[in-house]
Amino acid sequence: MIGHQIALIKRELWEHRAIYVTPLVIALIVSIMAVTGQVVLSAFDHEVSIAIIGASNLGATERAAAITVLLAGVSSLLVMAMWVLTVFYSLDALYAERKDRSILFWRSLPCTDAETVVSKLLTAAVVIPLITFVVVMLTHLIVLALASLWLGFQGADAWHLIWRAAPLPSNWTATLVFLLALPLWLSPFIGWFLFVSAFTRRSPLLVAFLPIVILPLLERSLIGTSLFFDALFVRTGSLPLFRGLSTGEIFTYQGDDWSVGDRLPSGLLSLLDLSRFFGSPSLWIGLLVCGLFTTAAIYVRRYRDDS
Amino acid sequence: MTSLVSARGVSKSFGSVRAVDDVSFDIDKGKIMGLIGPNGAGKTTLLKAVLGLTDCEGSLSVLGLDPFRQRKELMQNICFIADVAVLPRWIRVNQLLDFVESVHPRFSRTRADELLARTKILPKAKIRELSKGMVTQLHLSIITAVDATLLVLDEPTIGLDIIFRKEFYSNLLNDYFDKERTILITTHQVEEIENLLTDVMFINEGRIVLHASMDALPERYVELMTSGENAERARQLNPIFERDVFGKKVLTFEGITRDQLRGLGELRTPGIADLFVAKVKGAAA
Repeated sequence: MIGHQIALIKRELWEHRAIYVTPLVIALIVSIMAVTGQVVLSAFDHEVSIAIIGASNLGATERAAAITVLLAGVSSLLVMAMWVLTVFYSLDALYAERKDRSILFWRSLPCTDAETVVSKLLTAAVVIPLITFVVVMLTHLIVLALASLWLGFQGADAWHLIWRAAPLPSNWTATLVFLLALPLWLSPFIGWFLFVSAFTRRSPLLVAFLPIVILPLLERSLIGTSLFFDALFVRTGSLPLFRGLSTGEIFTYQGDDWSVGDRLPSGLLSLLDLSRFFGSPSLWIGLLVCGLFTTAAIYVRRYRDDS
Repeated sequence: MTSLVSARGVSKSFGSVRAVDDVSFDIDKGKIMGLIGPNGAGKTTLLKAVLGLTDCEGSLSVLGLDPFRQRKELMQNICFIADVAVLPRWIRVNQLLDFVESVHPRFSRTRADELLARTKILPKAKIRELSKGMVTQLHLSIITAVDATLLVLDEPTIGLDIIFRKEFYSNLLNDYFDKERTILITTHQVEEIENLLTDVMFINEGRIVLHASMDALPERYVELMTSGENAERARQLNPIFERDVFGKKVLTFEGITRDQLRGLGELRTPGIADLFVAKVKGAAA
């Protein structure tokens, strides 16, 4: 069973090389942008010196926050790419094998349809995020290494300014949790896409997205409600994984002066609220919907006679 | 249990069309059964039922299993080539072998490598870079390396040139077939498989019109080539089919002994293709 899953998932990676090529290309682009940015910045000698002095005078918390914001920007590019990748992968997963008729070969082997569909679901919901996570770490290291090199040339102390300040373990753990939580939260879409890719005879992209556009309009004009739209809106909005920061954590009042406080959480991990996430009924409803669509996809692959 | 496949009253309808209509037959171990029929006769539907790809009415047992409901168990002991075009085009040869090795408990990688070493197929090649003939060679090598009891071939050599077709069947006989294994095959190129079959089954409009061992054919069927008055006398014996060849008459008889026809003309056992035409067209006439 587990042996089959590993083999099936490996097969998905052979077929869909975009799963690891895309994030690597983005990593490359970010690295090139980092280098170009540094070359351009170097033209402003005076300002750079002032900025470095400024940075050196910042407290550890502020430096950590600055680096976290920079790295989170890099991560968000990769997260967006991951979601696009997940959409296209899930829509192709059970469609391509029917289009090229290789499904007849796959089905001649002793793998069940459930095993196959589950391997595709796992690829979309777990493998793609894990690969993205590895590339996120890699990109962070490259960007920070490039920044250190550049700071070194500027005569600054990169160890002090960057490596000691960057809360990498906390940020990375938070990124991993987020990357794994996102597909869970969006799982009804993944299930729907897999189902579409299992049943549609043409253009899965269109078939998948048309109902998402048309159903809310129909509901509005026919019944006058907007339940479907609201559900979509909640689902595509932010996931209930984060806790809010109170003002008191960001700023502290010392004497007559407001300043960025020492209570500012260092690293992203402290911003996550897993009990809120797993306590959210929306998450579980979504997972149930995903389960139903996946079962339907298995059923279609198993019982439909295409001839 | 000697019968590997056993069908009793198997039917399958698509809407109002009965693709397979109350079919019963057995296939015994060690046989090479040819399933012959015109397009739309129900061959592929019947094969799909045997492979558990489609549900059907009646009772069908393959290797003692219900093919539709026990597919996973079935697929460990059965192999099939549905068509040459079905190997995924994006995969590499060695990836394909790796995959089959990890999911198929009865696959011998050593044997597959051995078989492929005799061909021009490179392990690093992608399927899309191979010619049609090479893809079939690869597929047959994989299947030969699986220690399966039943092999089902549906038009395995369609679109191949004659060299590859000959080679396919010679490899099938030399490398794959032994007394422990059974083959069920359909093809339009009847003449090419005629000599390797042990049994033959004709299907037309969803029904089996003939099911016999190849050894029994000469006793049951005889073809008479004659002309003029002799032809007239032979017609009294109720031939199942008559056709013209080079101005002569060729009459096909069923259940008539050669002695009864002696002296009326040239006698011989009909080829499968001719016999098929005789059975199908004769029944229609």
